[in-house]
Amino acid sequence: MDISTLLTAVVAVVGVPLVLLGYIIGGEWVIERLPEKIQNTFRPYFWAAPGIGFASVFMLVPLAYSVVWSFQDDSLSKFVGWKNYIYFFTFPDTITSLKNSLLWLIFYTLGAVGLGLILAILVDRVKYEAIAKTAIFLPVPISAVAASIIWKFMFEYQAAGSTQTGTLNAGLGLVHHDPVAWLVDATTNNASLIFVGVWTAVGFCLVIISASLKAISSEVLEAARIDGANEFQIVRLIVTPLLWPTITVVGTTMIINALKTFDIVYVLTNGAYDTDVIATQMFRNLSNAHFGRAAAIGVILFITIIPLLIVNIRRFQQQEEQR
Amino acid sequence: MAVVLGKLGAKAVALTLGALFVFVTACGSSSSTPTQSATDVTVWTAWGGNELKAFQDVLKPFTAQTGIKVHISTVRDSSQLAINVDAGTTLPDIGLPPNVDKVQDWVSKGVMKPIETALGDQFQDYMTNTVSSLTTDQGGKSTNTQIYLVNGKHYGLFVKTQVKGLLWYDPKVYTGQAPATWNDLIAIDPAKYNAKSLFCTGIESGAASGWPAVDDFDNILMRQAGHDTYNNLIAGKVKFSDPQIKQAYQSLGQMFSASYGGKNTILTTNFGKAGDPMFKSPAGCLFLEQATFITSFFEQDNPGVKASTDYNFFPHPSMGNPAGDGNVNGFADSLVMYNDTPAARKLMQYVASKDAQQIWVNDGGTLAANKQVTYNDPISKAAFAVVQGAKNLEVTAGDFVPSDMQSAFWKSMLDYVNNPGGLDGILSHLDSVQKSAYSS
Repeated sequence: MDISTLLTAVVAVVGVPLVLLGYIIGGEWVIERLPEKIQNTFRPYFWAAPGIGFASVFMLVPLAYSVVWSFQDDSLSKFVGWKNYIYFFTFPDTITSLKNSLLWLIFYTLGAVGLGLILAILVDRVKYEAIAKTAIFLPVPISAVAASIIWKFMFEYQAAGSTQTGTLNAGLGLVHHDPVAWLVDATTNNASLIFVGVWTAVGFCLVIISASLKAISSEVLEAARIDGANEFQIVRLIVTPLLWPTITVVGTTMIINALKTFDIVYVLTNGAYDTDVIATQMFRNLSNAHFGRAAAIGVILFITIIPLLIVNIRRFQQQEEQR
Repeated sequence: MAVVLGKLGAKAVALTLGALFVFVTACGSSSSTPTQSATDVTVWTAWGGNELKAFQDVLKPFTAQTGIKVHISTVRDSSQLAINVDAGTTLPDIGLPPNVDKVQDWVSKGVMKPIETALGDQFQDYMTNTVSSLTTDQGGKSTNTQIYLVNGKHYGLFVKTQVKGLLWYDPKVYTGQAPATWNDLIAIDPAKYNAKSLFCTGIESGAASGWPAVDDFDNILMRQAGHDTYNNLIAGKVKFSDPQIKQAYQSLGQMFSASYGGKNTILTTNFGKAGDPMFKSPAGCLFLEQATFITSFFEQDNPGVKASTDYNFFPHPSMGNPAGDGNVNGFADSLVMYNDTPAARKLMQYVASKDAQQIWVNDGGTLAANKQVTYNDPISKAAFAVVQGAKNLEVTAGDFVPSDMQSAFWKSMLDYVNNPGGLDGILSHLDSVQKSAYSS
């Protein structure tokens, strides 16, 4: 590192906080001297301005660029109309990835939310709830790449007759079943990948749903029991409807996760044997310098997610209002 | 104001300042200035681990003798150089060559400096001492971008070589002769040598799975269909559905169907572990086709296994087309001078020398480009004889096609192993990828 680099670093380290402090102190100094009424209207904008500025520079501007690029060729210099979108909806590889993303959307969401709900209700009724919840939550903080590598070992395959190094196939060996090439076999590979996804997400669903479950008044449940409802009816007719707002929020979050799925597929199969999903397609186009196509896929993904975002934001607003 | 600051809290301020500090120091150290130096030289390589250590060993005597400091950066992303060239920002004094399709453009822009300039009066020695298929087009053409030869001038200085497509075997198990042709090879009966199957094949390699099979395919195609068809495929001038390409896939299919453990084992076994059944008793297979680098995997995975006594190789057999017999699949590492500085010239002159390349070879895992280098072990010696005897040292097709062609090419091997009956569909899919990959 030469002197000028060092100097830049020092100026930045000292200068940037100074500018920031200047904004806070100087800005407040100016506002305090304004008439009371103007102060009250102006102050929120003043404080929100840096946030809005950062959000624009780092989110809105890139988003706008992505939309523009999605109509351009790979050199990002020539407009090609809908070509990138037509490619996405006609090329066999991307159609496979669309189909698989749909599988993820359905089974990953149902699996994670459904299992999370069932487990939340079950652990609510046992004494060792804290331990059980911790155990189920453990995969959540593991990075998806690490989780995928763990499962790569679980799914490992050796020729029939040799010692099985994969845990699952070793288990199959105990019951005298031939080993299964989980990640290669077309009947098991997508299911295996989605299962890994569910494994990493179910703890998150469990914790959120469980928290909401605790909020249900025990008097409601007592009243139902006195009226003669059995436990199954209580879960179906009282607990689930009361949990519905939470389930929607968790569900939409899971749907967004499903559409964004990348790391598990990339690490375990990299899309081979027809396991590609939309995000791996986007990455592959990006790394192969097809910037226009990658941008188009990003835009499609974004548009798909917008309705879900709206649902989620509405839910949050309703919850805020209820408080 | 004091009220506001009070509300913010000391913690929040400290956190903000801390975050800014990290941000700023993270961006602070990226720029470097070009040098016209006689005392320092910057080098970008893709070498890491043992390869990087070997390069550092090579440089030690150079720095000791000349006092020139070599600043090495490991730049794994091969497109970084191209990004810098396009943006007009700093290039290393010495670096790896660009993709073949950029060579002529970069030469015409003056980005790459000729080896003739770099080596000066030592250029003739370089030409005499270096494997001829790396310095001279065997058809006599004055431009051959694969060896960075443009209009008679050389732009890549070759320092290391490897050979691919060798058939490795355990001499205690396979006691027969080296088969002369592919048909002879396929006809060998593994049961005669008490082995379970003829080949060991493992093509899993994470996100790059399939490449080892593409290497095997390349070795078939360059000999079966010959130099021109092979290079036309690389250039995107012959379709994958062409009968010659299909025939090469089918020949490779003979290897797959004679491989240990069947298709699931081929697909799920990492290339580095593919040879392990060869050393079991009874042997899982007789042969593994792979490059010279595989020996380190043999020794690492199977403790006690020794060169010559436990493993040896014979060269790839003929595919029955005499014109293709001299074609050998190799890869050669070269360095390009991007900034003509006195220090860069001295380093180029040094790495071209026998002494420098001898250190590389002594560190293991590679062959030299310089013919004067001596080999202590018989395997490396024999492998270098294969390099030297090559009529054409052919590049690996999988590494020289556009990147989306490459991933489709690799993936086609996974699909072919998985479903050999679907070959026509696989090839027509490759045609459509080829069409879009070469048009942009």
